[in-house]
Order: sequence, then C-alpha cells, then structure tokens
Amino acid sequence: MLPGDEKVVERCLRGDDAAWETVVNQYAKRIYNLTYRYTSRRDEAEDLTQEIFIRVYQNLKSFRSESGSFQSWIMKVGRNLVIDHYRRTRRYQQAAGSEEMETMNLRDDKIPSPQRVSEQSETSRFVAAGLQALSPELKEAIILRDLEGMAYMEIAELLGIPEGTVKSRINRARLELAKLLTKRRAQAGLQV
Amino acid sequence: MQCGLVEDRLSGYVERTLSHEEMVEVAEHLQVCPRCLSLMEAIGSILVACQAFPSYEVDTELLDRILLRTSGRPRTRSIRERLRTYFLQPVLTPRFAAGVGLALLTLAFLVNMVAPRMNVLASAFSPRELFRQMDRGAQQLYSEGLKLYDTKNEWQAWFVFHKNIVLHKLGFMIEQMDVPIEGNKKPAEQKQPEKAPGQRGSIVWLLTA
Repeated sequence: MLPGDEKVVERCLRGDDAAWETVVNQYAKRIYNLTYRYTSRRDEAEDLTQEIFIRVYQNLKSFRSESGSFQSWIMKVGRNLVIDHYRRTRRYQQAAGSEEMETMNLRDDKIPSPQRVSEQSETSRFVAAGLQALSPELKEAIILRDLEGMAYMEIAELLGIPEGTVKSRINRARLELAKLLTKRRAQAGLQV
Repeated sequence: MQCGLVEDRLSGYVERTLSHEEMVEVAEHLQVCPRCLSLMEAIGSILVACQAFPSYEVDTELLDRILLRTSGRPRTRSIRERLRTYFLQPVLTPRFAAGVGLALLTLAFLVNMVAPRMNVLASAFSPRELFRQMDRGAQQLYSEGLKLYDTKNEWQAWFVFHKNIVLHKLGFMIEQMDVPIEGNKKPAEQKQPEKAPGQRGSIVWLLTA
C-alpha cells in the first residue's frame, strides 16, 4: 500500500472530496493504461476508466486494508469490469494463429498522433497485434507482467491463483507470442 | 534436455531466475537447437518491445467527468491550468494570431518609413564620428567660455567706469559743500588754521582716494 493510502480512503469515507480527488489523480493513469492495454481503443478505455472509478467510489466501504493493498483492490475492481465489458461486447474471444494476427490491426482511430507515432515501430506493432491474437488469460498475463510491470506475487494476489501458475501462464503467453512473431518474421522477412 | 522442457524454462532463462544448473542446461540446449534459440530471441525482443510501450497520460476532461460523476465536485485546477483555460485559450485563437500578424506588419512598415536608416545610425555611432563630435563639442564649449569671459570684462569695465563717474560727481559736490560762506564765519572758526589739502573731510578724502 502506498504511504497514506489507508488514511486517504478513511477521509474519502468521511466525505472528504479533496481526498477522493487525490485517489483519482493517483490511480487514473494506471487504470487508464490498464484498460487501454486490454481494449486498444481510447474511447473504450476512457469509458471503462470512468466506470471503474464510479464502482470504486460506490464500494469504498467494502475495502479492507487487512485483505490487501488499496492498489490491488482497485486493480481487481478494474479487471472485473474489463472482463464484464468484454463479455458484454462479445469481443473477449480467443484468437490464435498468424493468419488472424495478420488481419488484425490497431483499431484505434482516435489515438492522438504522438501516441500513434510512438507505436509505429515494427516491434511494438507486432506485439500489439500479437496481444489481440492471444487468449484472454494469456493476454492478461502479458499485460500485467510485461506491460504493467507487476510482480508475480501481485499478479497472483490480483488473479487469485498460485504464484507458480502465474509464472507458467506468463511463460506460455510469451511462448505463444514468440511463436506467432517468429512465424510472422519468417513469412514477412521482417526483423522483430 | 528436451525442447518441451526448455520451452517451459525459457522465460526463466531470459529473466535469469533459473538455478545455475538449469541455466547451464538450457544454454547447452540453445547451442544445438536453432528453433529454441529463435524462440528465446523472440521472447527477448518481446520483453524489450513491452518495455518500450508508451504510457499514456490521462485526459483532464476524463478526470473532470470522473469527479463530477462521483463526488460531484469539480476538479481542482492549478494556477497554470486556470491561466491557460481562462486567459490563453480564449485569446490564442486564429483570429487573434491574424490580428497580431497584421499589426506587426503595419508596425514594420511604419518603422521602415519613419526610422533612420541603419547605415546612417551606424556611421553616426562610429568611433571616428564620435571623436569628431566630442572635439566639436569641446571647441564650442571653449568658445562659449571665451564669450562669457569677454562679456564679464565688458560688464566689469562698464561698472568701473560708471562708478568712477558717480564718485567724482559726489566728490565734487562734497567739495562744494565744504567751502565756507563769507560773513557767516564765527570768530573761533576764523582762528582755526586752514586745513592742509590732504586733511580735508574724511569722507571726501575716502571718496577721492
């Protein structure tokens, strides 16, 4: 837990709006980036981020500091909402294989140009497209570990699975992605 | 070691979290298995690419929406943000930019017409010209000083001249007043010896001195 998080949550529960603003400012970037990794769309990521914070605000009373950090709790809320969102929009589908990967593109047509430019490097595009081709649980493993930089223990806590399972899932995800990219590289003759 | 076992350990090998023995076994296998080697290289590339993934900043409008839909309180804005929102954004418009551009153009034309040429200014401020100006100034100052000195001498001479005239007249008048009238002389006064020319009235003597 970040220093002062518990006190800030207590202040939020007492109705201190400034404290809630601190929470939003502190975690908005992380939540937004997490949702963006999942959805690859700016508008959806913004909507999801907003929904997550509304849910967090409504359920602040259910947070127990004994059962984990506030950050993990927020991430859990966020993850649950992202899964709900995928189920609702029927886009949480498993896809695999280089043929599907080739047809996939970043579908974000509203990304500001600096972001788009920074993503134009070949490897980043490969990885972004490859993520869309992975199964949900493998994609989630890559996002949490390699894009969000979370520790194995944090991921285990978030997903509610043993740490060994997290490690093997991450390894499988990387292998899957590596096989896709190797196949793609062999076909296109591009350097990953 | 079989390829399947190596694949299970590739992430650990890349992250160097395997035991020493496992690291050696995987490394030996990679030396003889190009397929596993290419997979290992691909994983390394993926990790590097993931690290280079951009981290996106949150739009302030999104923060506004979140706060308004939760606590209902608008977001606290910094002074810089307020300045930008309430002053710069309304001012910095294409219309304002066009106006500023036209004003600058007009100003440039006016300056070009009214202001002295730069080469003239440059020659006027050259060291040689400056020295010449200083020399001319010094000469002018000296001539003005001489004129003042002459004027002073004229005034002094005029004053002395008129002073002498006045004094002579006064001396003459006093001398006339000192002459005794016949018949009104008292006996005591008649007995007084005649004064020497140098012992006449002290005032007359002072004036004529």
